[in-house]
Amino acid sequence: MDPQPEPVYYICGDCGMEIPLKPNDVIQCRECGYRILYKKRTRRIVQYEAR
Amino acid sequence: MVVMKAMGMESDQEVVQMVGRDPRYSALLMPSIEDCAKEGIHKQEQALAYLETKVKRFSFAGASSENDGRVMTVLQDVFLANVEVCQDNFRPKCIYVAVMLRRIMDAILNKDAMDDKDYVGNKRIELSGQLISLLFEDLFKTMIAEVKKAVDNILTKPSRSSRFDFAQCIIKDSITHGLERTLSTGNFNIKRFKMDSKGMTQVLARLSFIGCLGHMTRIKPQFEKTRKVSGPRALQPSQWGMLCPCDTPEGEPCGLIKNLALMTHVTTDEEESPLISLCYCLGVEGLEVLSGEELHTPYSFLVLFNGNILGKHRKPQHFAAAMRKLRRAGKIGEFVSVFVNEKQHCVYIASDGGRVCRPLVIADKGISRVKEHHMLELKAGVRTFDDFLSDGLIEYLDVNEENNSLIALYEEEATTETTHIEIEPLTLLGVIAGLIPYPHHNQSPRNTYQCAMGKQAMGNIAYNQLHRMDSLLYLLVYPQRPLLTTKTIELVGYDKLGAGQNATVAVMSYSGYDIEDAIVMNKASLDRGFGRCIHMKRYCAVNQKYDNNTQDRILRPNRDGFDSGPMRVLDDDGLAAPGEIIRRNDILINKQVPIVTRGQFKSALNDSEFKSVPQRYDGPQGESCVVDKVALCSDKHNNLCFKFVIRHTRRPEVGDKFSSRHGQKGVCGTIVQQEDFPFSERGICPDLIMNPHGFPSRMTVGKMIELLGGKAGVSCGRFHYGSAFGEPGGHADKVEAISETLVRMGFSYDGKDFIYSGITGCPLQAYIFMGPIYYQKLKHMVLDKMHARGSGPRVSLTRQPTEGKARNGGLRVGEMERDCLIAYGASMLLYERLMISSDPFEVQVCRVCGLLGYYNHKLKTGICSSCKNGDNISTMKLPYACKLLIQELQSMNIVPRLKLAEA
Repeated sequence: MDPQPEPVYYICGDCGMEIPLKPNDVIQCRECGYRILYKKRTRRIVQYEAR
Repeated sequence: MVVMKAMGMESDQEVVQMVGRDPRYSALLMPSIEDCAKEGIHKQEQALAYLETKVKRFSFAGASSENDGRVMTVLQDVFLANVEVCQDNFRPKCIYVAVMLRRIMDAILNKDAMDDKDYVGNKRIELSGQLISLLFEDLFKTMIAEVKKAVDNILTKPSRSSRFDFAQCIIKDSITHGLERTLSTGNFNIKRFKMDSKGMTQVLARLSFIGCLGHMTRIKPQFEKTRKVSGPRALQPSQWGMLCPCDTPEGEPCGLIKNLALMTHVTTDEEESPLISLCYCLGVEGLEVLSGEELHTPYSFLVLFNGNILGKHRKPQHFAAAMRKLRRAGKIGEFVSVFVNEKQHCVYIASDGGRVCRPLVIADKGISRVKEHHMLELKAGVRTFDDFLSDGLIEYLDVNEENNSLIALYEEEATTETTHIEIEPLTLLGVIAGLIPYPHHNQSPRNTYQCAMGKQAMGNIAYNQLHRMDSLLYLLVYPQRPLLTTKTIELVGYDKLGAGQNATVAVMSYSGYDIEDAIVMNKASLDRGFGRCIHMKRYCAVNQKYDNNTQDRILRPNRDGFDSGPMRVLDDDGLAAPGEIIRRNDILINKQVPIVTRGQFKSALNDSEFKSVPQRYDGPQGESCVVDKVALCSDKHNNLCFKFVIRHTRRPEVGDKFSSRHGQKGVCGTIVQQEDFPFSERGICPDLIMNPHGFPSRMTVGKMIELLGGKAGVSCGRFHYGSAFGEPGGHADKVEAISETLVRMGFSYDGKDFIYSGITGCPLQAYIFMGPIYYQKLKHMVLDKMHARGSGPRVSLTRQPTEGKARNGGLRVGEMERDCLIAYGASMLLYERLMISSDPFEVQVCRVCGLLGYYNHKLKTGICSSCKNGDNISTMKLPYACKLLIQELQSMNIVPRLKLAEA
């Protein structure tokens, strides 16, 4: 695909830091070494139906 | 007799003395003694030689080396293994056998002396700790044996090249793997302890808080399910207070799977030797000093400790009282039980693990030891339950010892003979049955039904429920705490993690959509959030690494192009982003897998060597769900692992299952506008309408009292209680008091209201019984079950439609439905269902030989392969399964032939 993929930010499950990751990076928090990361919420506008 | 002689008890007289001098016993022993004499067995050696002929020959040589030793070893180690033999002294064993003989003869002479094998006091519960320790012991010993073998191997080598390193001989992970394997399969196969049982582990049900709690109190029997016998399934009087009488599943395991009651404690093993020496100190005469004659003298009781005979005691009541005093003083463990059996002239002392016991308040001459000031201290938090125990106010009794005590249910009922007072009668039920208000007013099977349903109710799982990544989670949006609570509810925390809502129920007929337990629901209540639930499901994806150094990859989604539609929820990293609305067939992860995953090493792959395998969301059609959470982690094999939690909020719809807490389940029959709903003078409009026909046959009076109590509760602002048998103890409000409250708040005493019809506006002819009842939404929802199909996938073997909703299967016209159609004579319908719509197949049949032929596409004719011509071929239709059967029979050397006739 494109040569320079821009990093996507993730949130550490332990310390809550934002961590940028590129494809094929190790899934690990750079601050605390925690190995579970969560994806950030979408930046797009979402409209939910309240019925 | 021979066995007794083999153990060195050569005198017949002594044996008879040991069993007891009653002539009836000797009469029963007579044939055995005569037999012995006939065989010419008088001495120990003769008896051993005689037994030697009876011992099964073992093929392996090891045992046969010492010839007469084998019977001896059997007698020593196998026969009554619990009785120890020190220095070839068989006397304890002889005495044990004599006592056993005496019991057998007692049972023959007197049927009352028969033991009940379903008696809870004779049962032991195995806890996980014991099982794991056995498992560990086995694995550890196996590992040691293996290491020893390996070390011996190395050390016996004549020349060793490297330095000896013991650590290298230990096989890594053998214990870990053994534990993991046993726990994941649930098969405990431990040869060392002759244990082989399956299904020993279960995955803890996490679908509801109360279901999880109830799962942990479950007891499963070990023996095979003997179907016909009702004994083990029946309610045992001795299980009072120990096992819940209500909570058992219906159907096959009914009565076999039990649940612990609220206060039950299962004992663990306690050290024996101090207790044994204590017994001797308290005047137990040891076996060594007793002659056979003295064993059964009247007024002296045998003392048995964990099934072993310690000796006898002349004043059993004194001895038992002393032991109990020591236990209450905390000098010996609180779970040691002392039981005097007057009938068998025995004192049983038990300190072994697995007995069930429960706490009771001690009473002296009928006066409770727990006084007002103790309770005040408890309330102030100065005193805890353990203090009650250590101060000798409360003690644990097991089932046997309960037989030595007179337990009063309430303090007022205590007489001078009373030794104990029940803490609270509600504790005789388990955790799940404890949720039912006024269970003692219900017909008992209704409580059992509720116990099964309470586990399926949606509500809260735990406080961390939104952070958990369960594979499936059902949550209620606005869970409430029940208006009519019980003490159990408060104790287990159901009022904090409830699973239901208080609905205002009108008991009346409405619209005809409420027959057969269906309920009519108010549309406005649903809009306000009644019964609304969240369904969360986890989907997993793995970024697999392969042997040839290749691995899966995840691509940036196509923002435009042909599949940009299903890819719209994806983020730049190719994963669905939290917060996005996702529909069926949308892509969760844009994954590509290398085409070649085996063979030699590859360094880099270009795009053509990948094939695209996106994982799609397979949720319900036409519903919009939301990606709730996405987590990235690594799994066991160090692969990158993605977990998606998809959230779906559902409002109740026609067909969803609801239930009150009294085993009264029903589906939503219809949803009606609030405008059409009946309303009272105060403007109260019910949330749901229940058909009154649900009451007469079910006899769930508890539900009616719940309605009354709930109504009084909301109007006066106090939570009312309905604990089991709680009226005398003040843990359940009486109907009389509730009615008074209702009248005070301006309602009718009987809970009925004056109601206007919502459709006509006229007052209804009857007064309507209306008030709040706690309703649970059960996890069975139509959305998950709804299924229909026209044409669709077929099984390749039979070419019949597939089975089940997951495979988009067809609906089967089964055997019984077929019978109906035959009886009715609807042959064309049958033909259409069983053939045309299922698996029609055109075959070529030879009219001469009756075998199946084939169609030659070149000659455009059918040809019989056995006649080698196409002269007598007919074309006909057959179910493909039938053709398959014919061919399978042929393969087994059976020739089915079709005989055709004109139709």
